[in-house]
Amino acid sequence: MITFDVIGFLLSWFTFFSIYAILSMSLNLEVGYAGMANFGKVAFYGIGAYVSAYVSMSIFLSLAGLNYPLYSLEATMAMVKLASQNPMLNVSVFILTLILAFLIAGAIGYVIMYPTLRVGPAFFGITVLSFGELLRIFLRHYEPTGATYGLTGIPHPFAWIEDVFVKNLLFTSVTLIILILLFLYAQRLVNSPLGRTMLAIREDEIAALCMGKDVPKVKGKVLFIGSGMAGIAGCILAYYIGSINPNIFVPTVTFDVWAMMILGGIGNNKGAIVGAGIITLVDRATAAINFVFPGLIIDPNFIRWMIIGLIIILVLLFKPAGLIPQTYTWTPAWKIVKPLEEKAKRRREKLLSPFKKISKWFLMGG
Amino acid sequence: MAPILKVVNVTKYFGGVRALEDVSLDVEKRAMVGLIGPNGSGKTTLFNVITGFYPPDRGEVYFKGRRIDGLNPNEIFKLGLVRTFQNPRLFFNMSVWENMLVIPQDQKGESLLKAPFTRLWLNEEMEIAKKASSLLKDFGLKDFVINKVSDLSGAHIKLLESARGLMGKGEMFLLDEPAAGVAHTDAHKIFSFIRRLRDEYGLTFFIIEHRIEVLMDYVEYVYVLHNGRLLSQGTPEEVMRDPKVIHAYIGE
Amino acid sequence: MPTITEFINTFWVGSIYFLSAVGLTISYRVTRVLNFAHINLMTIGAYTAVLLSLSSPVHVAFAIPVVFLVGGIFMMAVHFAVYSRLMELKATPLVLMISSMGVWIFVKFFLYGLLGYLQKAWKVEMYLAKPRLIVGGEIKVEGLTLSGDLFTALALATLAAIFLYVFFSRTKTGKALRAVADNPDLAEISGISHSRVMYITWFIAGGLASLSGMMWALFAHATPELGDTLILQLFAASVIGGLYSVPLTTVGAYTIAAAENIVIATLHETIGLEVSYRPFFAFFILLVVILVRPPLGAGGGLPYRFKVLRRLMRR
Repeated sequence: MITFDVIGFLLSWFTFFSIYAILSMSLNLEVGYAGMANFGKVAFYGIGAYVSAYVSMSIFLSLAGLNYPLYSLEATMAMVKLASQNPMLNVSVFILTLILAFLIAGAIGYVIMYPTLRVGPAFFGITVLSFGELLRIFLRHYEPTGATYGLTGIPHPFAWIEDVFVKNLLFTSVTLIILILLFLYAQRLVNSPLGRTMLAIREDEIAALCMGKDVPKVKGKVLFIGSGMAGIAGCILAYYIGSINPNIFVPTVTFDVWAMMILGGIGNNKGAIVGAGIITLVDRATAAINFVFPGLIIDPNFIRWMIIGLIIILVLLFKPAGLIPQTYTWTPAWKIVKPLEEKAKRRREKLLSPFKKISKWFLMGG
Repeated sequence: MAPILKVVNVTKYFGGVRALEDVSLDVEKRAMVGLIGPNGSGKTTLFNVITGFYPPDRGEVYFKGRRIDGLNPNEIFKLGLVRTFQNPRLFFNMSVWENMLVIPQDQKGESLLKAPFTRLWLNEEMEIAKKASSLLKDFGLKDFVINKVSDLSGAHIKLLESARGLMGKGEMFLLDEPAAGVAHTDAHKIFSFIRRLRDEYGLTFFIIEHRIEVLMDYVEYVYVLHNGRLLSQGTPEEVMRDPKVIHAYIGE
Repeated sequence: MPTITEFINTFWVGSIYFLSAVGLTISYRVTRVLNFAHINLMTIGAYTAVLLSLSSPVHVAFAIPVVFLVGGIFMMAVHFAVYSRLMELKATPLVLMISSMGVWIFVKFFLYGLLGYLQKAWKVEMYLAKPRLIVGGEIKVEGLTLSGDLFTALALATLAAIFLYVFFSRTKTGKALRAVADNPDLAEISGISHSRVMYITWFIAGGLASLSGMMWALFAHATPELGDTLILQLFAASVIGGLYSVPLTTVGAYTIAAAENIVIATLHETIGLEVSYRPFFAFFILLVVILVRPPLGAGGGLPYRFKVLRRLMRR
């Protein structure tokens, strides 16, 4: 009998949930608000992961005065020794790489995709998808980052804590805090004039252009933020799993994120997070099933992916708005039309009342 | 007084097919000018060239004395030249209120750094909101603020489109068939409303209309396009009497 | 210098790309769905041929119609189950594109699961298979073997091109297809059944793509990732055609094939470029086309000109 580690399961779920929630939120900014079909999310996720792995490993090795190539076995071995020595160093490198991952992924998103911002969604989608694929091919052949083997031994920011449980708990809480901060930022972003302009562009970009909006510029901004957020998610992933290789960043990751966003509701940050929660839970559960009952006749992985495909199709067909439908952008200007705002709020309450009833039922015990 | 809009010898080909050839026209400030012509005569193409959808192959366009051909549509809008489409292009899944607020140019809150901090753009936002609310009152749309645009009736959508144009610094409006698919009596209502707007806000209007007779009572000057060339121009009466125009319309 | 083999491969691979990309182009032009499920079709075509010839080799002339039918019917089924319903809901092209992505993932992993099952049940290697088709017409010239597969690919591409040309310019259905593509509203008025036109388009596009999958399996071999490895090339070829023009798509397919065979061989010899960087050429061509000759009309792009380009053009 294999014992099932409930707390370990929850911690790994929460970490993956945060990573994917950040990804799906960033995708939601791009698709749900600015109408850009980003099929290459995984590229920026990968850039974030590789940048943070590369930078943190180089810093550690050069501080120790070692001159191994990053991908060598010696470097990996040295990492294990170096990682647990200086708490301050570990944490500050973590913070530094978070910022770097955001900036570099964002900048690459902005620069590479800017030429495609004026062509239709079909062409944009193709280009971004291709970019993601190409990046993977490039990384597989790029020696300094270990080609197909990738980079191993990325120094965990809390490697100096000996108790594995405390270490993981701390890391998971840090990722959750990052998620909450990014969520608050995204909420403020969409409930601002910028969010309004983004929505207008999604609705009808030609009309937005004729109404004086510099559409490619706004889209570029959104792409910067969206790619940057994906970069942060990649950075967290790199530290969490400790070793990365090009095969983690296959296009299917992008589709996972899409399924989360569509399930939760396009054009809604909360929806993106709820969708990420549901799908990562299913995901972790399949992983657990795989672990508990190995050797099933059909790989549960394939079934899991089929479910992802089905979710996308079925939600679009039968509940296009997703679990939490989109609302208006709530800027302070609504105060001017206050009485009407009250009416709108009541309508929202009515929409949310089933959820409230359910939560009450849980809290009060029936 | 110099004309507010000046089109000089504009020529536009699409893959060898002539859409416009040597079209020149002037629109005076605070005027109401019509552009008529049979279907496919290049009226909408001319609007598209003026508002920067396509650069002209030859020729120049001046607005308020500034050359605007080759600029992007958003830059032309910022100069105060607003266009509408034959099928209204509003942001249909947004509220009427947001449709109004989104228009003003270069809002502080549209910057990536300032957007998350409400304090930095609150004042500007409130000013925009005040302007929007008074405009909506003028246009009789006050009760629909919270509604989605897709829930409005056709007439209200047309009103909102004009109101939206006034949210920017619009000085001149290019209206593409504002009375398309509307019965004669209602068309008259729309045109008298446009005339009222011209008088109250001091605007200039350049209007495409397919039917000559509805437009005649409202405009001061008319240009007639036929097969991409300027066929005739003058006051409505002159144009109505011009044998070339009669021939073009009957011969259609 | 590139050898004669590279030139032969250019034509061979180019024909395969053409067969697939042309389906993508016409289906987008008529239905406005950017069909990611097109990628599945190639895999399906390859494995149909593999399964047909599993017990004993079959002649290619028998395999071609079967593969065409399977692909065509599959695409019609997808249209029936997903796209037609979304179109009834007045879905935007963006939503249709996303749904096609859902179909792609679903079918891809369904195939993976099915093939994995067959592999276990029948004890045959499935994840790396080769269809055993009898193809005659091998020619030996000066120590160079030109296989029948090459001629089949060339013949199929030529036949498809001729068929499409005749179909679009001579037949009533083909003209209807073009009318729908250029102006859906007008076509509706003139009494052309929109839905029938769509089904026909999907049938042709699906059939051609699955044939190209079969030909690719003969060129290389069949894997469940077959279609996925060729995404970039196919879409780049179609983008060169603006997702609109069949002749330009042809140009695109052969250009990319040439870049991937002749150009890379030359660069490999001169500056030692890795051969596996092949897909970069397709991406490079894609970016250049999008920058210099943006396909604005059909793709629903923006009438927007970049300032830098604008200044260059003025000079």
